[in-house]
Amino acid sequence: MTAMAKTHEGLPVTPSSVSADGGQYLTFVLGGEVYALGILNIKEIIAYGDLTEVPMMPAFVRGVINLRGSVVPVIDLLARFGKGCTSIAKRTGIVIVETSSEADDNQDIGIVVDAVNEVVDIGRREIEPPPSFGAGIRPDFISGMAKRNGKFVILLNNARVLSVDEMTALSGMSHGVPAGE
Amino acid sequence: MSFDEEMKNALKTFTLESLELLQDMEEHLLNLEDDEAPAERINAIFRAAHTIKGSSGVFGLTHIVAFTHVVESVLDELRGGRIGVGSELVAALLPCCDHITLLVRNVVDGRTEEDAALTAEGKQLLDELNAFTQAAPADKAVTEFKCPREQLQKLENDSVKDGNWHLSLRFGADSFRDGMDPLSFVSYLRTLGDIVQLVTICQALPPADEMDPETCYLGFEIELKSSAGKAEIEGVFEFVRESSIIRILPYGSGIGEFIELIDELPENLSYLGEILVAAGAITRHELDDALHHQQNKMQTAREQGNAEAEAAVPALGEILVKYQAVSEPVLNAALEKQKQVKEKKNQEAQSIRVDAERLDKLIDLIGELVIAGAGVNLRSRLFADEGLKEMTGETMRLIEEVRDGALQLRMVPIGTTFSRFQRVVRDVSKELGKGIDLIVTGGDTEVDKSVVEKIGDPLMHLVRNAMDHGIETADVRLACGKPARGSLTLKAYHSSGSIVIEVSDDGGGLNRERILAKAVERGLIQAHDVLSDHEVYALIFEPGFSTAQTVSNLSGRGVGMDVVKRNVTALRGNIEVDSRLGAGTTMRIHLPLTLAIIDGFLVGVGKATFVIPLDRVIECVALPEDAGEREYMDLRGEVLPLVWLSQVFDVESHQQRRHNVVVVEHAGNKAGFVVDRLQGEFQTVIKPLGKLFTYIKGVAGSTILGDGKVALIVDVPTLFEFCERANRHAEHALPAPSHAS
Repeated sequence: MTAMAKTHEGLPVTPSSVSADGGQYLTFVLGGEVYALGILNIKEIIAYGDLTEVPMMPAFVRGVINLRGSVVPVIDLLARFGKGCTSIAKRTGIVIVETSSEADDNQDIGIVVDAVNEVVDIGRREIEPPPSFGAGIRPDFISGMAKRNGKFVILLNNARVLSVDEMTALSGMSHGVPAGE
Repeated sequence: MSFDEEMKNALKTFTLESLELLQDMEEHLLNLEDDEAPAERINAIFRAAHTIKGSSGVFGLTHIVAFTHVVESVLDELRGGRIGVGSELVAALLPCCDHITLLVRNVVDGRTEEDAALTAEGKQLLDELNAFTQAAPADKAVTEFKCPREQLQKLENDSVKDGNWHLSLRFGADSFRDGMDPLSFVSYLRTLGDIVQLVTICQALPPADEMDPETCYLGFEIELKSSAGKAEIEGVFEFVRESSIIRILPYGSGIGEFIELIDELPENLSYLGEILVAAGAITRHELDDALHHQQNKMQTAREQGNAEAEAAVPALGEILVKYQAVSEPVLNAALEKQKQVKEKKNQEAQSIRVDAERLDKLIDLIGELVIAGAGVNLRSRLFADEGLKEMTGETMRLIEEVRDGALQLRMVPIGTTFSRFQRVVRDVSKELGKGIDLIVTGGDTEVDKSVVEKIGDPLMHLVRNAMDHGIETADVRLACGKPARGSLTLKAYHSSGSIVIEVSDDGGGLNRERILAKAVERGLIQAHDVLSDHEVYALIFEPGFSTAQTVSNLSGRGVGMDVVKRNVTALRGNIEVDSRLGAGTTMRIHLPLTLAIIDGFLVGVGKATFVIPLDRVIECVALPEDAGEREYMDLRGEVLPLVWLSQVFDVESHQQRRHNVVVVEHAGNKAGFVVDRLQGEFQTVIKPLGKLFTYIKGVAGSTILGDGKVALIVDVPTLFEFCERANRHAEHALPAPSHAS
């Protein structure tokens, strides 16, 4: 076993539409918005670098990185939300999240973020149910909205946002001819 | 661990072992008829059935016990020689073997309860089987131990009969003085059985004037017909044992029984003498005597300090024979047994069962170690420290050795896959009504386990195809002047770092004209196209291609060969066909030895690095300066289509001039990959890209370079496919929609 920061049993939380439970969340900035991910599935945070682009993949797949010997795909959430590409800057980081697909095999996925903020405790009462529209991203990607310091933080629904099955299907649809032609 | 869990684990072991035993059983059954001395095989089959029955009982799987019990008793009859080996019996036993497998598999799936339908099926099989035991005529009964008995009778005297003992008595000189009368012993022997023959040996008698009337000079050779055991007979001579020479040998079938007994002994008796004692061939006294004798000699030899003499001390067996304690055949059987026990022990010590997952994990880790090591090596060159360089170099060498060793762990002989086909050939040839023999060579050729697992299905297709379409019916064969029985050969061997598997038949061969006609009919080629044999034969791998005039339930529907081809390609291998009309066809599959490692050729395009599998690379040439952005180039008069990797893979290439071309080959087609830099060969561990990249074309996986960066491995076949399709799109001027979401 590599010395990864396995937090809990490593089981992904899969609340689909119900609002998120309270607990510890990692907040990060992406395209000017503050998002949060439940900390249970987060394995580690690394600096952005040495990414290998994989051709013929949709824009939301940035490429792959070498995470201590295993090849981990890196997802651009901004592209996944349909808001363009994340530009790389000094504070850009990759959050490694453990996901599970239908086939029941766990896969690590990296998420490009503009900056990682902090780990916060969010109580259940602070969490509002997701709005049906207006948050700027697909409602099913959101598990709740939490208010922090007078601002809303979007709690992401990990299982939906990083659904390997859905992303695979999307890439299957978009592959065909090389993007360069 | 709770009791339930323990039971679960034990049950898993039981099923695993049972399935292995059943596999052995099947193999032995298949080879039974051809074996000249089948006793060993019959015993192995019996033991397998017996073990399964016993273990099933432990787990309360009564239905398996019930079924196996009947099979076991039939096998027992067979073992006892009461029924003979025959193809009908084998044909009846094979489905029983399958049935037990089915029952065990049900247990694997968690259905430990009896299944009524299966039981009914089993009942039918058993009825068929029982017919053999009931119908077995008495005169057929001697097949089993005939051989040893015949040998024995030649060795001993022809006049002896079954159940007899041969006693060699040499009474000690002091017998009379000790109050022992040889006559009384002989009389006493009568109470144990009938003395058939008695020869008095009086050669020891000195001339009359020298003879001491109180000294016994007599010896007897007695043939005794008795049901008494050896110890009992020896007991008769208890009082003269010290002073006399007494050898008791079993005769005739008696020895047969001893051999049988020795075979049946529990295997933990590895000591030869103990074997003989336990078998009743010698008694404890004789063993002790012999041992004593051996020790004496040893001691004398040691005292003299003579190593040679020590080595020359006869082995226990020799001593025993010399002293006529056992006859040679019995001794040989015991020695054989001792050897078997030893071998079995060695085998057990030599192989351990390891969870495949653990092994994969280890190999993964070693892969990482190689990469990390390469990184260290690279770093060390930045310092002007000779010692450091030397040490990292040495570490790298060791790491690579460890990696090779670890990969070796995954290597298994391909024979296990081949042996499966014995059954297939037998069944299919019966179904087709053709006599076909399977010849297997090179079964011990080793290949990675993952390759072995995946090659079974393609091989199955090829074997069935060869039997159905390749090998003709007996009358056609005879008319062609070939032997009536067809032969199918499975052959494996290593060749330049890959494994080659050949499936060849001595059938009709591929009909070039018919393939051509069919290909034209299906529009695959034009009627006026000129094709080489190789190209013609390659057509049979086209989807839906079949020239068979009749469709059987085995093959002929044109599904299969393209699947074979696809499977082989997926294993990074290729397949080629050799055929001579009327003489047969050979399908030759080349496969890499392992799927975990690849010999790659590193190329650079812009900032990116790609790995092209080395076995696809033919040569590297510089792109002529005047070539521009053309789609083809002139390779020594040949038109070489070009694939610009920078375009296909959408990599920015800053280089304007001095491009290189890597000439690659796939399925007889050549193409040139245009790259910026050639970086040389690189042996590396393949890392799968994961599910997310399922639909990617032209990339087979990834690997991690020495500097820690990930490089993509080019998948030549799919890239070819991809380019062909892109080309077709361009031709039809259909701009393909590109929806990058």
